[in-house]
Amino acid sequence: MSSQSFNTFSGSAQNPSSQYKGSALRGALVGLIPLGLLIVIVAVTFLLTALARQLVASSGFFAQQQAAVIVLIAGLAVALVVYIIAIVRTLRSITAWQRGGAVGQARAALLALGFTALVVLLPVVLALVLPQNPAQ
Amino acid sequence: MSSRSPSSVTPVTQPQGGLKTTDRLLRWIVVALLVVSVIVTTLYTALSIYIATQLVYVPQKPNYATPASLGLQFKYVTFPSRTDQVQLKGWYIPGVLPNGNLTSQRTIIMVHGKGANRTDKSAGLLNLSGELARHGFAVLAFDMRDSGESPPAPLSLGYFEQRDVLGAVDFLRSGPIPYPALGRTRIIGGWGVSMGAATLMMAAAQEPVIRAVVSDCAYADIIPILEREIPKGSHLPLMFTPGGLFATRVLYGMDFYSVRPEDIVANIAPRPILFIHGTSDTFVPPSNMDALAAAARTAPNANVQTWLVPGAAHAQSFNTEGAAYVDRVVAFYNAALGPDTSV
Repeated sequence: MSSQSFNTFSGSAQNPSSQYKGSALRGALVGLIPLGLLIVIVAVTFLLTALARQLVASSGFFAQQQAAVIVLIAGLAVALVVYIIAIVRTLRSITAWQRGGAVGQARAALLALGFTALVVLLPVVLALVLPQNPAQ
Repeated sequence: MSSRSPSSVTPVTQPQGGLKTTDRLLRWIVVALLVVSVIVTTLYTALSIYIATQLVYVPQKPNYATPASLGLQFKYVTFPSRTDQVQLKGWYIPGVLPNGNLTSQRTIIMVHGKGANRTDKSAGLLNLSGELARHGFAVLAFDMRDSGESPPAPLSLGYFEQRDVLGAVDFLRSGPIPYPALGRTRIIGGWGVSMGAATLMMAAAQEPVIRAVVSDCAYADIIPILEREIPKGSHLPLMFTPGGLFATRVLYGMDFYSVRPEDIVANIAPRPILFIHGTSDTFVPPSNMDALAAAARTAPNANVQTWLVPGAAHAQSFNTEGAAYVDRVVAFYNAALGPDTSV
């Protein structure tokens, strides 16, 4: 089709710099998928925990605590498994890109994964550096 | 990175097997970071959840006696907390007038501390209730949630418990009258110790029906105390405290960071407040009273009194001062609530 021919033509006509930027952006986005999944699942888990707490509020404290803890731990476990699977898949894609010679895309994805690791560590780092003033 | 600068553009494709050492190194660094972040954050999260579940659970203690042991009349009462309708148990003790008649005109709501109940032997709460009753004040002594005979609930150090105090106010204002012959209570005051005092202030700040407040060894802000007590109780470093507090928010919907009576105490004005604190209180240091009194005095029409009890440990001012404590508190309530007109 003519439009397809046109697109192909215009793509090959782009300069190497913009082509690099496009593939790097795609790599970065792929690298951020595990972080996105993690944030979404953790947010949903928090919402479900609050919902579970409300739903069993009339059943007493122990039932309420049990429901909230089960939902929270199950949700976080799902988040952890999904996160690890997403990371493994992303690393495999990166390997494939590196072998295929798409080094810029692979590098961007790797950097995004590195950023993801830092974001995941951020709460712990914040807990370390946040000022605390225990009563004497 | 220089490879991204226009002057040195990296080729989009490279021949297979042309992986640079820097790319290999970057890959290893990122993988190591990912592994470390997953392990560290998972451990931190798990320990934070553990801290949260330990923090909010305090085993309930049974009440050791009843007002009958002091020769006083009383009735068992049950009333719901405001908002969440937790069914709370308590006693209504009518005041005893000098002529021996009973009265319910002025009622003091007694609010106990953490891990205690409406008798609280350690702080002498039942004895103080008896003393107030003998001085002509009716007393509503009740167990807050997760205390005494009231249902189990997460301990929130005042965040949820203020609803219990507000429930007590509702009960006195519109609930069944414990002694119909004495009529409904005309005026309400409050006395609280430690967590009970902080809770009472948070309730009084939003409920003008509470006409006078005695706050015995309240905290101005719970966070510094938790930052000291959580590491001590959990044997974990200080860095786990914020995680534990965040986990309580997710699991139980409570926000310890908002348990700061010093932020709201000025709203109690012009109603009078008497702050009492022991000089030997190492659990809630006396500086908390200074902070609360200073905050309360920021109101233009503040009516604030303070009493630093020499040598008294945490929640021990009544036991240390005995009759002097009763005289001072009774004088405060008489001035704040006015005389009983049924004499």
